[in-house]
Amino acid sequence: MADDRADEGEIWENVKQMISNDRLTLGTHWSFNLRNDPKRLSFVLSRYKFAAKIISKRRVLELGCSEGIGTPILAEFATEYVGVDSDEQAIAAANQNFSSERCSFISDDFLDQSFGQFDAVVSLDVCEHIMPEMEDSYFDTIAANLVTEGVAVIGTPNETSDVYASPMSKAGHVNLFDHERMRRALGRIFHNVLMFGFNDEVAHTGFEPMCHYLIGVGCNLRDRT
Amino acid sequence: MNDSRSKWDPVVELMKGAEPVSFGAMHSYHCRHSPRRILYTLSYYKFAAKLIGSKARVLDIGCGEGLGTWMLAKECGFAHGMDLDPDLIETAKTNWCDDSIEFSCANFLEPLRHKYQAVVNFDVIEHIRPDHAVAFIDGMADSLSEHGIAIVGTPNETTRKYASEVTNIGHVNMYTSERLEAEMKERFTQVFMFGANDEVVHTGFPPMCHYLLAVGVRPHPRV
Repeated sequence: MADDRADEGEIWENVKQMISNDRLTLGTHWSFNLRNDPKRLSFVLSRYKFAAKIISKRRVLELGCSEGIGTPILAEFATEYVGVDSDEQAIAAANQNFSSERCSFISDDFLDQSFGQFDAVVSLDVCEHIMPEMEDSYFDTIAANLVTEGVAVIGTPNETSDVYASPMSKAGHVNLFDHERMRRALGRIFHNVLMFGFNDEVAHTGFEPMCHYLIGVGCNLRDRT
Repeated sequence: MNDSRSKWDPVVELMKGAEPVSFGAMHSYHCRHSPRRILYTLSYYKFAAKLIGSKARVLDIGCGEGLGTWMLAKECGFAHGMDLDPDLIETAKTNWCDDSIEFSCANFLEPLRHKYQAVVNFDVIEHIRPDHAVAFIDGMADSLSEHGIAIVGTPNETTRKYASEVTNIGHVNMYTSERLEAEMKERFTQVFMFGANDEVVHTGFPPMCHYLLAVGVRPHPRV
């Protein structure tokens, strides 16, 4: 309860004192995105929130974390977070803003690499940038970093939305998935695959070809011998 | 006008062959007194059907008049609806009848003859006596094949203060999100929790979810 005698200015000062004087400066990717297409941050964060809720209190590896924009949300629910990206500058920005006791970042081309045995792997907006001939290697990398009962949350734009994509998006997209192909790719490494669709910030299970974005949740690794 | 009529007539002709669907006492009551309820329930079934996928044998416990069971049968390939109430099962059998669906009047707490790839139940577990709740979840896990999936839906305990007296009398076993997750984890390798408000399924703040949906994957023996 606020003090009756305090005016609004004093009440607000009390709130302000509880907020730390931290300053966060975004890296070039997210500075660019926020200046040119700010709504992008909203739907990107909502996919991270969905992933965070799905994996809950686990050790999380993010493959393709870029500047760590999803790190605070993933780390809020995780017991430990490791982010990996091949973009050194992006990792520098991530380190500067988000590294902590529970969160660390590695600059590395993660294909065929092992970073440990994690309970969950999150990888959003990555597989569409992996050349088709490296695709198996990408999914095998996810498997190689998971415990047998681990969970993977993999997101990518739906191939059916490509006709509306910006030239910049299109230039980077070398391997687009539709719902069925994502289900098959995850089905090769996991016994169980749950497919979700997104339009803007909303996750749902609606008609697959009309989902703007796809998230596949895989769990229970198949025997890889 | 005549031209529109000539386009519409063949459509009418196509629909003519359909066997009429006749709701029983339960859905008829819902239609007259709380028609939105059917919408919520169907949305939970649709959510389940989409997660289960198109090639599974699904068991629907507490199937009522089988409307949701029919959706599971159409979306997943086969569904077996089970309910304690013989009148409900009679209505279900009359309305929904082909190779993809089966109904039986049975007590789910007794052992089953078959294994399923998926088991669902909506608005059932809150009616199970608390001392039978463990057996109910065990029954779900035991009804599944090795990598089977179970989907449980129940109103959130936090909604109890807004529910009607008649509802509260029947709800003897209300769950919070935390309790449902913990009890499902006793028998499933992974448990994913969702909430629903109206027909919208989401992953928002658990105490404010009107309805809870737990997805359990891959049963394991009780620890």
